[in-house]
Amino acid sequence: MNDLAGAALRPGAEAFTHLGRSIEDIRSELGVGAVSIDTIRDPAVYELEREKVFRKTWLKVATEWEIPEKGDYKVKEMPVVDTSLLIVRGKDGKVRAFHNVCTHRGNKVVPTQDFETFGKARANVLSCRFHGWVFNTDGPLRAVPLEGGFGSLDKACLGLKEVACDIWEGFIFVNFADRPEQTLAEYLGDFGKLFGGFPYSEATTAFRYSTVLDCNWKVALYAFSEGYHVPTIHAGSLPGFTGIEHADFKLVGPHASSTIYGGGMEAAASTAQFASVLHADAEHGPRPELVPPGINPRGRSDFQFELPNIFPNFLIHLAAGCGYPGMAYFTHQFWPLDHGRTLWEGINYFRPARNAAERVAQIHVNALHRNAWLEDTGTMEDTFVGIRSGAIDAMHLMDQEFMIRHAASTLDRYLTKGEEQ
Amino acid sequence: MSVQTDTLPAGFEDLVPLLAHWARQTENLRSDIRWKASAEDFKALYEAVLPRLPDILGALEACPLEGMSAAEENLFNLAAAFAEAAPHHELYGGSADVPFSFAAHRFRPGHGDLPSNARILR
Repeated sequence: MNDLAGAALRPGAEAFTHLGRSIEDIRSELGVGAVSIDTIRDPAVYELEREKVFRKTWLKVATEWEIPEKGDYKVKEMPVVDTSLLIVRGKDGKVRAFHNVCTHRGNKVVPTQDFETFGKARANVLSCRFHGWVFNTDGPLRAVPLEGGFGSLDKACLGLKEVACDIWEGFIFVNFADRPEQTLAEYLGDFGKLFGGFPYSEATTAFRYSTVLDCNWKVALYAFSEGYHVPTIHAGSLPGFTGIEHADFKLVGPHASSTIYGGGMEAAASTAQFASVLHADAEHGPRPELVPPGINPRGRSDFQFELPNIFPNFLIHLAAGCGYPGMAYFTHQFWPLDHGRTLWEGINYFRPARNAAERVAQIHVNALHRNAWLEDTGTMEDTFVGIRSGAIDAMHLMDQEFMIRHAASTLDRYLTKGEEQ
Repeated sequence: MSVQTDTLPAGFEDLVPLLAHWARQTENLRSDIRWKASAEDFKALYEAVLPRLPDILGALEACPLEGMSAAEENLFNLAAAFAEAAPHHELYGGSADVPFSFAAHRFRPGHGDLPSNARILR
């Protein structure tokens, strides 16, 4: 049962009503008790998370539009699984993922300077700078300088080491298990259907930010997993935000989601002018019809955005221009660097501007949202200090924080998986 | 990245004095200026540009992102600076910081060194 019973729904929405949960359902299924913070505080838990979560689940690592052409690649440093990951579009157009490791002696095939490195493979080959071993972009070892000097070398077995890779709606995921227990489609389950069908790949203008936070990754994840904080933390950047309602709670296997409705902001004078550029346009303006039917199933006109938690570390906030003017969606990701350090990545996605006025308006909206993120991230290191202090042992969570409760419960399940046997 | 400081499209000559201080091509360069700005700096920019914003946006609507003239690009860069600076006057009481927030310089924009009129930001 949920609060959609008897409501008039958008076509197709009925297929998702089983995901909906009323507050009573949420309290009944997830409980109302305080949630232990030991999993945040204890470094030993982090080591378990690396093994049982980050090496076992599907992780979003790139998007198709980051590497649109044959030979385009992205390298992502992933300390949580002790590797450098190469995601590359081969000459057959297929996206594959490999350890960015030369099979000669272990050097990085593509040198990196940062957490993410982008480039293009010339002639669809990648060459290790150490001794010049050459790999095709689809993995095989193609050439070895002075090959005769090795005596015996089976090149057929020395291709780049592949990592399971699959794509959902243009988002590229990998799984580091030798044999993933589930396909990506199985892992995403109803979430993939709930959020499926939105033209994510058309919103290719990306304003991306990152920072290293001195906190456990879950402190950052949890801070972005609820709407309870909006009236207080965002009093500076979102004053006059009226009628905010965090509702339509959904439990979707290891994932969860919910909706932010609201009357919107009483916009400042500059924002009103910039917003008018975007709102007046058929492409950039609110596109509620593009929101998949299981999201905002009643077609409420005050829909702002959908706020999910895709286990373990990915959020897609789907707005379709209904929230921040012109913004199609925004994403967050939280990458552990070690127990107490986290790489946060936030990206605001807009449809491409067709003229300079639209781009300036996007720059304004992006700045407003970036500033709100500054307010969000301002809490995280302080929270982690508090958690480590030993002054508290638990989080006390209200209904709007159900996704934290759910994520913590899902994490516990993954960490104890196999112990019952 | 230098900026040609003395030209704006016809009709915007009154805004030329703002170019030298504010108009920059990239988010990183504009942030460096904004982080050092005073409440008076924000107020002066705001009061000069806000009344002209409809005309500015109207002019920029006719400009493709790439291939703008130097004067048009200056107008775009000034408008971008205003787009990012306006909240500091309207919402933050003239503070260069977002109050009660994370240190802005610790955010790293992946697009920060690209010209803001680049056709592709990804």
